[in-house]
Amino acid sequence: MPGADRFDAASRAGEGGAGTGTPEQAHGFPSPAQDYFHGGLDLNRLLVRDRASTFLMRVEGNGMAAAGISAGDEILVDRALTPQDRSVVVAILDGELTVRRWHVRPGTVVLATDDGAHVTRVGEDTDLVLWGVVTRSLHRV
Amino acid sequence: MDGSLLDQTQHERLALVDVNNFYVSCERVFDPSLRGRPVVVLSNNDGCVVSRSQEAKDLGIKTGQPWFKLEPFAPRWGLVARSSNYELYGDLSSRVMEVLGRHGLWQEVYSIDESFVGVAGTPDELLQLARRIRQDVLRYVGVPVCVGVAPTKTQAKLANHIAKARAELEGVCSFDSLAEADLWRLQERLPVTGLWGVGRKSGEKLVAEGIETIADLRRADAAKVRKRHSVVLERTVRELNGVNCLPPTAEKADRAQVMYSRSFSSPVSTLAELDEVMNLYTQRAAARLSAQGMLAKVLTVSAGTSRFSGEASFPSRSVALPEPTADPVLLTRYAVSALRSVVVPGTPYVRAGVMLSGLGRDLDHGGREQLELFSLDGGEDAVPDGAGPGSGAAPARAADLSGLLASVKGRFGHAAIGLGRGGFAEEPEWSMKREFRSKRFTTEWDELPIAKA
Repeated sequence: MPGADRFDAASRAGEGGAGTGTPEQAHGFPSPAQDYFHGGLDLNRLLVRDRASTFLMRVEGNGMAAAGISAGDEILVDRALTPQDRSVVVAILDGELTVRRWHVRPGTVVLATDDGAHVTRVGEDTDLVLWGVVTRSLHRV
Repeated sequence: MDGSLLDQTQHERLALVDVNNFYVSCERVFDPSLRGRPVVVLSNNDGCVVSRSQEAKDLGIKTGQPWFKLEPFAPRWGLVARSSNYELYGDLSSRVMEVLGRHGLWQEVYSIDESFVGVAGTPDELLQLARRIRQDVLRYVGVPVCVGVAPTKTQAKLANHIAKARAELEGVCSFDSLAEADLWRLQERLPVTGLWGVGRKSGEKLVAEGIETIADLRRADAAKVRKRHSVVLERTVRELNGVNCLPPTAEKADRAQVMYSRSFSSPVSTLAELDEVMNLYTQRAAARLSAQGMLAKVLTVSAGTSRFSGEASFPSRSVALPEPTADPVLLTRYAVSALRSVVVPGTPYVRAGVMLSGLGRDLDHGGREQLELFSLDGGEDAVPDGAGPGSGAAPARAADLSGLLASVKGRFGHAAIGLGRGGFAEEPEWSMKREFRSKRFTTEWDELPIAKA
């Protein structure tokens, strides 16, 4: 089958070409850009600090809309980060994953939505409720 | 790694790290309501229990118990069942392995949920490192692990077992931090039948000879054990005495996945052509997989259009395989139907790829490798007892495959391998019964975990 030979040749020509993002040219003149083009912009490099600890979630509800996180948006959550005062976090409240702002208060932490509809004062054992720190919102405009 | 490069007080050791109740722990990462409850994960087609939470173990539920027998009691016990979600387990496994690899001098992934990691340091440093590994995996991925550190693999397995069994150790046990007398005392209490590398039959034979505990085996004469049992068991005796007989595979190999991805010389736009591409690429990926002696649980196919032609698209799809496999015929069948489900005929694709992940060791394959290595018949113990959920079933025997592979290779030159396409069942994976499957939280855009705001 001629098709098979073509793919075979293609895969040989493509050896080492995988990941460069440049389709191999079997014939004709080489592209003048080939020494300069090293793949397009990769959103992963911009958005993901550490792929081992970064997870995607989808948001339900508009309690954090003021922070640019609306219903239906995807958020990136990094489990390896430590929240600072006013970080946006994913926390486990009543057995559910929730998006809250992390307010550091003397001796405690308060988890609240920016619209003030949900406010939870956390006891000593805050590690139990923190799931990760929200680093980005993929907000639809 | 030359020991002389290390300070006198530094030791090179092996850490065996494994995830506690791996499948259940994965389920709990995204479903906090499962925490603190008895949870079981069921085998394919929701047949029987393959993973249990501690609460389920405390109820007396055993691995392998059929679900239909447990189901009537589930409401009374508050027992929750989940179908196997290998997309999720495969993804979290690769994250765990990534984190472990960062802590080690080298890494040998042993199964979907356990890995040997090379470590070095003073006894105190080794203990600190083991604790840090445990903390990091819990923090980065959200699953709990136990860490056993010792001079040999067999001892590291044992240390890991001790770390699990004794709550006061908090999931970490390093032989260098144990007094020799305490270690002996522990080994006097542990039955030889539970030791890694001791099969069921040879375990019974040892007990009949009066070698009942691990300490008994450690004291046994290695040469006699070899004569009466096997070279494999002799090695176990030596390993128990701190002599390294199972060296790590040299490379710091990332065996979490096997990838075969290429660009085409000219765009491809018909389903028939894309099928041929999948045929070829999948069989190459499968060949790599079986060369490594591994089986895959998850297959991911992808394609891409040119980045230079307007709107580029990169369709991809992951499917859970019905059982761990390296079978090129089976894998090709899944790859073809998976890619067909995501590509748009008529679109010019310029690249495609096949990725195999959720890898576990093919025990049959490994056994044969070791026989060759030691060039003596190892008897029935040649295949070391597996541990962890990944090793329970190795259905696709390498022996059955090799003939197939040979014939595939013989025909490789023409017709993109003669595996027929006509008879493929439509999406066979989705017909599998997975009634209680959680969402594929990390691999499907429309199944992301929901966070409420």
